[in-house]
Amino acid sequence: MPLTRRQLLGSGAAVAAVAALGGWTLWSGRGQSPLLLSARNDAAGKHYAVGYFLDGQRAFATPVAERCHDICRHPLLPLALFVGRRPSRESYLVDLRDGTLLQTLRSQPDRHFYGHGVFHHRGQWLYTTENDTAEPGRGVLGRYRLENGKQLIHDGEVSTHGVGPHQLAWLPDGESLVIGNGGIRTEGGSREEMNLDAMAPSLVIMDRHGERLSKETLPQQQNSIRHLAVASDGTVITGQQYHGPAWDSVPLLAIKRPGQPYQPFPVSNRQLAMMKQYTASIAIHSEKRLVAMTAPRGNRFFIWDLDSAATVVDVPMADCAGVGAVPEGFAVTSGQGKCRFFKCQAGGTDSEWLDLPAAWWDNHMVIG
Amino acid sequence: MQRLILLITTLALAACSDPRQEVTAQLADQVLLPAHQQWLRSNEVLLETTRAGCAGELALAEIKQAFHQTQSAWSHLQPLMVGPLSEGNRSWQVQFWPDKRNMVARQTESLLDEAPELDQQQLDDASVVVQGLTAFEYVLFDEQVAIRERRDRYCPLLVGIARHQQALSAEVVTLWQQPEGMLEQLTTFPNGRYANADEALGGILRVQITAVDTLKKKLGTPMGRLNRGVPQPYQAEAWRSRRSTENLIASLEGAQAVWERVRSLVGDAQLVADIDEAYQRVHDQLDALPAPLMEIVQDPDSQAQLQSLYQDLDTLETLQQSDLARDLGIQLGFNANDGD
Repeated sequence: MPLTRRQLLGSGAAVAAVAALGGWTLWSGRGQSPLLLSARNDAAGKHYAVGYFLDGQRAFATPVAERCHDICRHPLLPLALFVGRRPSRESYLVDLRDGTLLQTLRSQPDRHFYGHGVFHHRGQWLYTTENDTAEPGRGVLGRYRLENGKQLIHDGEVSTHGVGPHQLAWLPDGESLVIGNGGIRTEGGSREEMNLDAMAPSLVIMDRHGERLSKETLPQQQNSIRHLAVASDGTVITGQQYHGPAWDSVPLLAIKRPGQPYQPFPVSNRQLAMMKQYTASIAIHSEKRLVAMTAPRGNRFFIWDLDSAATVVDVPMADCAGVGAVPEGFAVTSGQGKCRFFKCQAGGTDSEWLDLPAAWWDNHMVIG
Repeated sequence: MQRLILLITTLALAACSDPRQEVTAQLADQVLLPAHQQWLRSNEVLLETTRAGCAGELALAEIKQAFHQTQSAWSHLQPLMVGPLSEGNRSWQVQFWPDKRNMVARQTESLLDEAPELDQQQLDDASVVVQGLTAFEYVLFDEQVAIRERRDRYCPLLVGIARHQQALSAEVVTLWQQPEGMLEQLTTFPNGRYANADEALGGILRVQITAVDTLKKKLGTPMGRLNRGVPQPYQAEAWRSRRSTENLIASLEGAQAVWERVRSLVGDAQLVADIDEAYQRVHDQLDALPAPLMEIVQDPDSQAQLQSLYQDLDTLETLQQSDLARDLGIQLGFNANDGD
């Protein structure tokens, strides 16, 4: 039985909650212009948690102390956690109606965030990937309980069954998680890699209570599994960052179809060379069966057919960063230039520049 | 009549009222594309000369001269290679630097051991390590290679590399000049690559500033800056042909060609003077180096001179990367340089 909004908000806040929900309904009813959530900097280097409608209207820009990375959208309430970027020890719970900072969530002693997390579909639990800095690189899945709809309380942790975990996502059952263990050890205060010659990346599927269901690897030890997305049928696509020689040709995208082994996603060597060994954000459009990926070092944005692997889009885009599925296609942000919208139809794909502020968008975005 | 002239002048001004767009278009048309064409021409000459040299119609010195020209064109081009040449692994195919483990020598010899009658397809399918100017330089200049006695072994590779470079540069120039190609994308906005001229100018400056940083590495690595101060002469670019300094000067001049066009956009006169002076100082110091770089990095008496040159390059980099970027309001790197 899913938690109701009222239960989440707590009985003491019932009256306020009804009023708030009214506002929320109206707010989400804009419909035609989805809300884009992202971490962003300003020209002076200050960090913000921002929400913009795709038509360019700003919903909020909340100053935060540390640079954030990914955003965990709450499934029921107008809330999101902006997760601190590695090796941050802070994440920020934000009210999406007006950008109010509800809570600065601090990591536990000897833990820091890796920039990614997910809310459980019932809304009561949040899970984040974390580093055990007492044993650098040991991957931890932190568990937090949402109380009164505005406070996250640490509730425990389990292993991610790997080193240096990064992005995580739910499989369609809503109870098991797929996690990219990047394989790289880093210490608490630093982003410096300690084990490039002994990396151990892995793709782990586990239930949210900690039981490992599968653990798979790619042949190249220095190919760090970082980002991923899951289609509604359970197909997982991962994006890698390769730490070996710049001229090597290695699978920077991989796929795990339900019940099948984890394996390279078949893109051409020419496209792989364009990525400069670095992929950033992955998004899947389940209805259109498309997968999109940003390669900011190669300044290249791609869309492929999820089933045939045929190329749908392969275009230059400076420092392309976050990508998210919208009803008609994908929206893409940039660290350096204007954001774009790619409208994908059976007859072909059109692209247009979005009327959003240009540049300083961080690697991930969520359309909510 | 005067009114007509005024009208025409006003219209002309309106047509190019955006100075950034004007500068970007000038850079593309008058600096970047010509540098790519010059590189292509040098490769055409290298191919002809290598063929003739290997057929015994020209002296080895002629091939060396053509090689120097190509190296120089490529060095000049590096700060200007926005777009196609910087994409994929094309620039790795031109030059393999840094070569920390002497891979060029080892892979060249093992390729020729495996394929004594090397054909073009074999070379085109081989590693980037053996496809470019660094392998060409190894064959032509390394003391271990007895090119005069072993033309049968090495000439197919030399001709193959020259042909590979000619084909690569022809492909890149086509990607510049074709409809909706790079030249058009730097002059007509918006397009499939840039939303506006500001983004295009940012793209040009990023390549140029990265190239100045690469100059620092090309100087600092043989000086031993990555090796606790112990010189690494064989880590110098083009150490075999003793042309490291000439290459650095050619690259600096390529970078300066961008600055010469951009300076009109800078409002801060002091910054303009500082950057002008920084280019001049680096140029003067490079001109004053008394011997090939791989030799002077090992000479204790030259250390102060090298440190001073490195410091001046660092100043130039900082002036452009921080002050110039801020003055122009251009975001140089965000996720691409500091991702996760």
